[in-house]
Amino acid sequence: MITLIQNILVYTLIWGSIYLLISIGFSLICGVLRIFHLGYGITFVIAAYAMWFFLTDMNMGLVTSIILMILLQIFIAIVVFYKGVFQQFLDEEENLLVVSILLFLFASNFINWMYPITAGVSIPTRFFPGSVMIGAVTISKQMIAAAVTGIIVTFLLVLMFLKTRTGLIIRAMSQDLNAARLMGANVDNMYYLAMILSVIPPAICVIMIAPFWSIDPHMGMPLLITALLIAILGGLGNLKGNIIAAYLIALIHFSTNFLLAPRFMTFAALVATLIFLIAKRGGIMAGETIW
Amino acid sequence: MQKSRLLFIVVSTVLAVILFASTAPAKREKEIRLGFMGDLSAPFSLSAEAAAKLAVEEINEAGGILGRPVRLFVEDTGGEIPKGIEVYKKLVMHNRVNAVIVAEKVEMGVAGIQIGAELFREFPHVMFSTIGSGDAIWHHVRDDYDRFKFGFQTYYFVSSHYLEILGGKLLPDFYGNVVGAKKIAILYEDMDWTRPIRRGLPGVSPPLKEVYENAGFEVVYEATLSLDQQVFSSIFERIAQSETDIIDCVVGYIDQVSFIKQWVDSPARNIPWFFWGGIAGMPMAWDMTGGAIAGGSIGSSFVRVPITEKTIPFMDNMIGKYKVGPIFGSHTTYDTIFGYRKALEQAGDLKDINRIIKELENVRETAVLGTIGWDPKYHYNIPYPEYITPIVQWQDGQMVPVYPEDIALGSFKPVTELRK
Repeated sequence: MITLIQNILVYTLIWGSIYLLISIGFSLICGVLRIFHLGYGITFVIAAYAMWFFLTDMNMGLVTSIILMILLQIFIAIVVFYKGVFQQFLDEEENLLVVSILLFLFASNFINWMYPITAGVSIPTRFFPGSVMIGAVTISKQMIAAAVTGIIVTFLLVLMFLKTRTGLIIRAMSQDLNAARLMGANVDNMYYLAMILSVIPPAICVIMIAPFWSIDPHMGMPLLITALLIAILGGLGNLKGNIIAAYLIALIHFSTNFLLAPRFMTFAALVATLIFLIAKRGGIMAGETIW
Repeated sequence: MQKSRLLFIVVSTVLAVILFASTAPAKREKEIRLGFMGDLSAPFSLSAEAAAKLAVEEINEAGGILGRPVRLFVEDTGGEIPKGIEVYKKLVMHNRVNAVIVAEKVEMGVAGIQIGAELFREFPHVMFSTIGSGDAIWHHVRDDYDRFKFGFQTYYFVSSHYLEILGGKLLPDFYGNVVGAKKIAILYEDMDWTRPIRRGLPGVSPPLKEVYENAGFEVVYEATLSLDQQVFSSIFERIAQSETDIIDCVVGYIDQVSFIKQWVDSPARNIPWFFWGGIAGMPMAWDMTGGAIAGGSIGSSFVRVPITEKTIPFMDNMIGKYKVGPIFGSHTTYDTIFGYRKALEQAGDLKDINRIIKELENVRETAVLGTIGWDPKYHYNIPYPEYITPIVQWQDGQMVPVYPEDIALGSFKPVTELRK
C-alpha cells in the first residue's frame, strides 16, 4: 500500500511539473491577450522539427539549433499568429479560432510532407541517461530533469509577474485593459512580450521530453488538448489555477493508472474536469486576472 | 463566320464524345480492372498502393491475365467510412472493376463487404480486405455465405488465428524455448481486433491469458492501453513489480516510440518485450528511438529473409521503383493480386463470377510470405505455416530474424547484452 501511494505521489509530482511546461504558455496567452489560442499546438511541432532541420539538414550544432529554433518560434508567434491572425481577427472570435487551428493543421501536414514518419526524426537531447530510485519508485533522470525544468520555468514566470514592473503592467492589463492603457501601459509591447514568453515553455518542453516522448508531425494535437484541459480546469488565463490544475490532472491520471486501469487515465481526467466545471463554473481559479 | 466555327467545334466535340463512348465498353471488355481504396495519408495504405501498382506492372509485363491487360484504379478514402462507401460504389458502378482491394482498417473492409453485397447482383465482383486483422470480414462469409461469398480477407494473422496459432503455438514456443520465459505480462491495445484476444472466442479459443496458462506460463500482469496514451513509465513500474520475464504486447497502433523510449529508463528496462506489429518493425524505428529499441522483438515482414523466391525481389522493387518500404499490408496486397490472377487463369472465364469465387477458394500461389490461398468456407487466407511473418529482434541497429528457426538468421539475445 505504501509503495502504491509512493508511486502515485512521485508520478503526480513529476508529470504534474511536465504538464506545467506543456500548458503554461497557453494559459499565458489566455490571461494576457484574452485569446483561446487553438494554434498553440504547432509550437511543439515546430520546436521538434525546426531543431531537426537545423541539426541534420543544415548540419548545425545542438546549441545553435536550439537558439535558431527559439528565434523561429518567436518569429512565427509574432509575425504569423499575432500580426497575421490575432490583430486581424481580434473582433471576430470565431474566425480567429478557425484561422488559428487551420494554420496549425496546415503546418502539421506540411511538416508531415517534408518529414514523413519514414524520416526517422529523433532529437538528441538525452542529457541525463539512466534512472534513480525515489523511495520504491524508479524514475528516469531525464524525466526528473524535465520536471525540475517545468518548476523552474514556472517559478521564473511567476517571479516576473510578481516582482517586476513589466509583470505589474501585464497583471494590470489582465485586470482591466482600458484602465491599464489610460495609465500609460504600452499594450502593444506587452502583447509582443506575452507572445514571446508563451513560446518559451513549449520549446523547452520539447527539448526536455524528446528523449521519452514520440516525435511526429501530429504530436501537437494531444499536447494542445492537455494544455486546454489544464487551462480550462485551472480557470482560463489564471496561472495560479494552471499550476494547481496541472498537478490535479496528474494526480487523477496516476491514481487511475495505479488504482484502476491505465487506459482510463485520459477519460478519468476528462470526467473529473467536467464534474468540477459543473460544480464550480470557470474552473479552480475562475476570474479575470492572470494571477 | 464565328457562329459556324462555334457550331463546328460543338458538333465535332459531341461526335468525339459519342465515338469515345461507343469504343469505351469494348476497351472495358478487354481489360481487367482492379480497384484499390485506402487511406492515402497513412503509411500502410501508401505502401499497399505501391504494392498493388508493382503487382499490376509485373502482371502486365508478363502478358496480363488471360491475355488481357490489367488496369488499376486508385481511390483515397481519407480513412473516413462514409467516403469509403462512396469510393467503393464509384469503383464498382462507374469504373466497373472486377475486384476491389480495401487496404486499410478492418472497419473499412466491413463497410466494403456490406455495400458490395448490395451491388453484387447487378455488378458482380470480388472484394479483398488486405489490411484489417479483425474477424469481422470472414464472419460475414461464415454467417451468410450466399450474400457475402464475394468477400475475401488476407492478413498475416486474423484475430482468431492470433489466438489459435500465434498465441497458441508460436509465441509459447518462442517465449519458452527461445527467450527462456516462465512469467508473462500481457499488454493489449484498446481496439476492436484485440477484443477476441482479451475476451476469448466462444467455441474457438479462451482468452490469451488462459491460452498462455494452458501452455504452462504464469500470467503475472495484464492491462489494456488506450491509443492516445503516451505515458507508459508508470505501467513499467507495475510490470517490474510483477517480476515478469517477458512483456507480450498485443499491439500495432499504440505510440510505440514513447513506449520504447520510456521502457529504456524504467525499472523494466531489462525485461524484453514483443510487439505483434507496428512502427517498431520498420527500419527507421532505430533512429526514431535513438537506439533505445535494442533488444525488443517484433513480428516484422520488413527483413531480407528469402521466405520464397519472390520475397527479396519484392522488397527491392518496392524501394527501387516506388521509394516505399514494404510495411504491413503491402505483402498481403501484392500476394492477393497474384492469388487473384491465378484464380482467374484457372477459371478461364471472366464472366462467371461464381466460378471465379470457387477458384479463389481453391487457389494456391507462391507468395512473398509463403503461399497465398483462401479458406474455401470462411475466405480468410490460409495462415501459418503457409503464410509466415518472421519474429525479429533489434540488434545493433538491425532487425535480425530470430524465429521461426527455419528462417532465423541469428539468435535471440538478452537485452542487457545488446545494450552494452
